[in-house]
Amino acid sequence: MDERVLLVEDDASIREVTALGLAQAGFAVTTAPDGRQGLLEFRQEPFDLVVLDVMLPKLDGFEVCREIRRESRVPIVMLSARSDTVDVVVGLELGADDYVTKPFELPELVARARAVMRRSGEDPPEQALAVGTLEIDPASFEVRRGSERIELTATEFRLLLELARRPRQVFTRELLLERVWNYDYLGDSRLVDVAVQRLRAKVEVDPKHPTLLQTVRGVGYRLDPSG
Amino acid sequence: MSAQVPIRPGRLRRRLTIAFMLVAGLSGAALAAGSYLVARESRLDDSVERALDQSRFNLEFASSVLSSPQTRTEAARQLLDALERRSGFVTAVRVEGQDFSSSISIRAAQAPPDLVAEVRRGQLAYQRTELAGIPYLVVGGRVSEAELYFFFSEAQLFDELGQLRTILVVGLALLVLVAGGVGALVARRTLAPVAEASAAARSLAEGLLATRLPAGGRDEFGAWAASFNQMAEALEGKIAALSLAQARERRFTSDVAHELRTPVTALVGEASLLSEHLDRMPPEARRPAELVVADIARLRRLVEDLMEISRLDAGQGAVRLEPVDLASLAEATIRARGWTDRVRIEGTGPVVESDRRRLEQIVANLVGNALEHGGRDVAVRTGTDGAGAYAEVEDHGGGMTPEHLDRIFDRFYKADPSRTGSGSGLGLAIALEYAHLLGGEIEVWSEPGRGSRFTLRLPVAIPLQQGNEPVAQDAQDEARNRVEG
Repeated sequence: MDERVLLVEDDASIREVTALGLAQAGFAVTTAPDGRQGLLEFRQEPFDLVVLDVMLPKLDGFEVCREIRRESRVPIVMLSARSDTVDVVVGLELGADDYVTKPFELPELVARARAVMRRSGEDPPEQALAVGTLEIDPASFEVRRGSERIELTATEFRLLLELARRPRQVFTRELLLERVWNYDYLGDSRLVDVAVQRLRAKVEVDPKHPTLLQTVRGVGYRLDPSG
Repeated sequence: MSAQVPIRPGRLRRRLTIAFMLVAGLSGAALAAGSYLVARESRLDDSVERALDQSRFNLEFASSVLSSPQTRTEAARQLLDALERRSGFVTAVRVEGQDFSSSISIRAAQAPPDLVAEVRRGQLAYQRTELAGIPYLVVGGRVSEAELYFFFSEAQLFDELGQLRTILVVGLALLVLVAGGVGALVARRTLAPVAEASAAARSLAEGLLATRLPAGGRDEFGAWAASFNQMAEALEGKIAALSLAQARERRFTSDVAHELRTPVTALVGEASLLSEHLDRMPPEARRPAELVVADIARLRRLVEDLMEISRLDAGQGAVRLEPVDLASLAEATIRARGWTDRVRIEGTGPVVESDRRRLEQIVANLVGNALEHGGRDVAVRTGTDGAGAYAEVEDHGGGMTPEHLDRIFDRFYKADPSRTGSGSGLGLAIALEYAHLLGGEIEVWSEPGRGSRFTLRLPVAIPLQQGNEPVAQDAQDEARNRVEG
């Protein structure tokens, strides 16, 4: 029952207290003090969640994130030192699902962790949707264009599914944050922008001139099946 | 603020030039006028001398003619004939009540009355007069009952004097012009170093601290340039030292904040674990633990604000522009902080192209400050006026005196030093930095006993695109309803 979490953090105090907090919240925690050790641990056993510090010795958090993404769709939460530099965006672009800014309170981290895991795990099976040339199958978590299979992370998949359920409707960033990330109104709308960019890179025929996932300036995004 | 005196670079040069012209003109004029007067006097005296000589001769000749045994009339005619051959004057004779003249237009009756009176008294006299626009020197004398008047034309003399005058005036004008030219040239030469120094000072003021004047002249300006350069050198050194010190101080602040971040992160985690177990603690440990949790929260705010301000100092504040509805932003901010019961929200929402996250922070900091210091009856108002979009936070608390008002945005400034609030002391400073980052400004009004009002002004309000997206509005409403529900 206990979900397995890999926590990679170099500071001993932060590592210990975070592990303690996650354990008390019901997670089975494995810790690693640096990036290389983290990757080793990750390859030893399956995890349901990875909590990853950005600034790590030996192999930094971005590198670890990139490596993990090559092998797995496991939800990743980054621990970021700063809230408004490139860190966050870089992390999200490398495939992290969310980030928490240091210093953080443990309940906040636990809530984020639960949210990303719920996203990846609990989608009720639905009928497959056909959007334009895309085929989305919620049951198998698969997206296909013809015979080509498109690999999406859990967050990307949920985002695409949310937009595809109501084609042509415009979704505000806030609404998407709430439905896809399970956040309150005041979440960071950069999450949405970065995820849409990543999604475009994977599902658009020409990602530089997106026709399927359209930006509605000043409002949000919509999916146009004819695109 | 330096008071800007309107600079007219040509003024001194013009003044010098005018002074030059004035001196040259006045001395030239005095010289010309003097020499003209002397020349005129001597020419006029000459003319009188010659006329008198001629007249004496004429009178002697006349007396010999008139004393001959003929009738007076005939003698007069003979006299006129004889004198007419001598050119240069007109002779008029009055004898026994009869007028004779060698010219049709000039008669003895035209002699000036004063002169006639003198002549009748037997004197040889002269007077100047003008007949039909021509100047004459009239010499009169009496010879045995006959009055003789000789009219010497002085037209040529006065013509010459007129020419002399014209020459002098034209010469004077030329002299003044040349003096002006020379003056301008000399002034420019003399003042060139001044213009150079002025340009150098201006470029110093603009921040080009390496500006120097060409030194090496051996005159006063050379000495001046040397001291100017010394001053610039000292200034450059001082400013370099200052900015080095400031950079060091900022780097230190930034380093401190970042070094603190790691232990504070651990502390915050520990405090959040501790707070979950407060209930189960023995009473004597519980209160200290509560205080630890609260103080760690304070420490966290302080460190986060310090990090934010050092990021701003380092110019790392990236702005992400998007259309933001001010009214709903204010509402969401108040709700997220749990202030809904204590803050009134008024006004309509102008939509501005701005950074949502920073706007939220500004509003939260202003409202937080109002709640902490103002206390009662806090209101947030959004709208537009002539100057653009605004969001203002008003309280009806104690207000501030002007000396506090001036420093209210200073870092760690506390109006009441004995009061230790829960804020970091950086909230308003950060709000102002953010406002500047977004091209806006924060204005403060406050009156002791009445309250304070902080107004965030943003440069422009743009109308939300009324696109062909009716669904957009629905989606937004839906989002809002969900949050409220």
